[in-house]
Amino acid sequence: MSHIHLPDGVLPVWLWVSGFILAILVGGILLKLTKREELTRRLPLLGMMSAAMVLGASIEIVPIAYHINLTIISGILLGPTLIFLATFVVNMILALFGHGGVTVIGLNTLTLSLEGVLGYSIFHLLWKMLKRLTLATFSASFIALLFSTLAMIGVVSLGTSHYKELIHQEEGKGIFEFKLLKEKGEHLEGTGEKEEVNLKRFIAIVLPLGFIGWVLEGVITSLMLRYIYRLRPDLLRL
Amino acid sequence: MIQLSYLDYLAIEGKSFLHRLSPRFKILGMVFVLLGVVLLRDLRGLLLLYGILVLLFIFIRLPLRIFSLTFYPLIFALLFISVSGFQTHFILIIFLKVLSGSTGIVLLLASTPYPSIFSTLGRFLPSLLVTLLFLTYRSIFILLKVLEETQHALYLRGGFQWRHPWRSLVNISNAFGHLIIAGIDASERMYESMVLRGFKNKIHYRGE
Repeated sequence: MSHIHLPDGVLPVWLWVSGFILAILVGGILLKLTKREELTRRLPLLGMMSAAMVLGASIEIVPIAYHINLTIISGILLGPTLIFLATFVVNMILALFGHGGVTVIGLNTLTLSLEGVLGYSIFHLLWKMLKRLTLATFSASFIALLFSTLAMIGVVSLGTSHYKELIHQEEGKGIFEFKLLKEKGEHLEGTGEKEEVNLKRFIAIVLPLGFIGWVLEGVITSLMLRYIYRLRPDLLRL
Repeated sequence: MIQLSYLDYLAIEGKSFLHRLSPRFKILGMVFVLLGVVLLRDLRGLLLLYGILVLLFIFIRLPLRIFSLTFYPLIFALLFISVSGFQTHFILIIFLKVLSGSTGIVLLLASTPYPSIFSTLGRFLPSLLVTLLFLTYRSIFILLKVLEETQHALYLRGGFQWRHPWRSLVNISNAFGHLIIAGIDASERMYESMVLRGFKNKIHYRGE
């Protein structure tokens, strides 16, 4: 839910290209900052956690179109640097299953890694302050999911003028669209045409469904972490 | 996800012309499909693209049960179409874009084994990323096996019961926790065996 499940061709080109550029930049910087030996040693773990995230994403709760991400627990186990790589790979593999478009991989990586990094940071902060595992995990999951969903809504809202064009295409002319600039939707706004893109409706549907999902994922993540803490506390490095 | 092994089986065992085609051409074809999905903004054009992909699907005789996979992304598209006030033209465009993209992807996956796709991608992507893709793919199968065993054990011992939702949720979460611990243990063993076989940052494919 918190990442963009949009197919290819829905978001404007400038938006998804920017997502790719930003994701490559962030990934490049993080890779430079990580020791090569450390990265090589943790590659199988990265692969395994990415696989767990892919499996989590494949279990759909159909009535609310929600699936658990396992990004927060992966963030806690992998740390903020490696979670970025993991989300990139997860989004690539998910895109190969039609779960989100190929062109939105960059934007999805940014949104999901934000979730992982926030989850990791809030969890460690709350653990230091409260020393209560369940509360720290639930709060970290809930807040991280809330913010990543808001980030997703923010990204979707950036494409508003493009959606207007898609809606008005019926009256339009060409078969193809080659323009790359954001300004292309401006002529529609100037003509006083009826506003047909209703983001408020989208938000009104996504947020309540998301809320159910955040609570559910918060509970599942807390219970999972409690189980891991009982059996292998060393993995959490607390 | 359970279909993954079946897709893999189809990709390896298939004998059609698409199966025999070089992965490089198929990935290039997928790029063209994506370009079409991104650039086409007209119903006729999108219908034509989708029609070609469906015909290709029928022509290479892929099983119908695989075709159902192409409808999966529609679940999420349903949420998005609310943006437009449910206008028919917008809904049709979004649905055709979704279906064309997912049919193209399923055609690629059902006719090309994953290692071939990753090895082709290795020409453009950093080797570290390709290694990670390969390891993730391998790990999915390891975790699927653990998940299946855990699921059976839970069913046999009454782990899922609608009458006891909280207890079921705890059991499901514990099963996922077990999955992660088992996965981490397996990843450590995998790393040891990779090092023993001379792994140095890159997985080499046959023929390299």
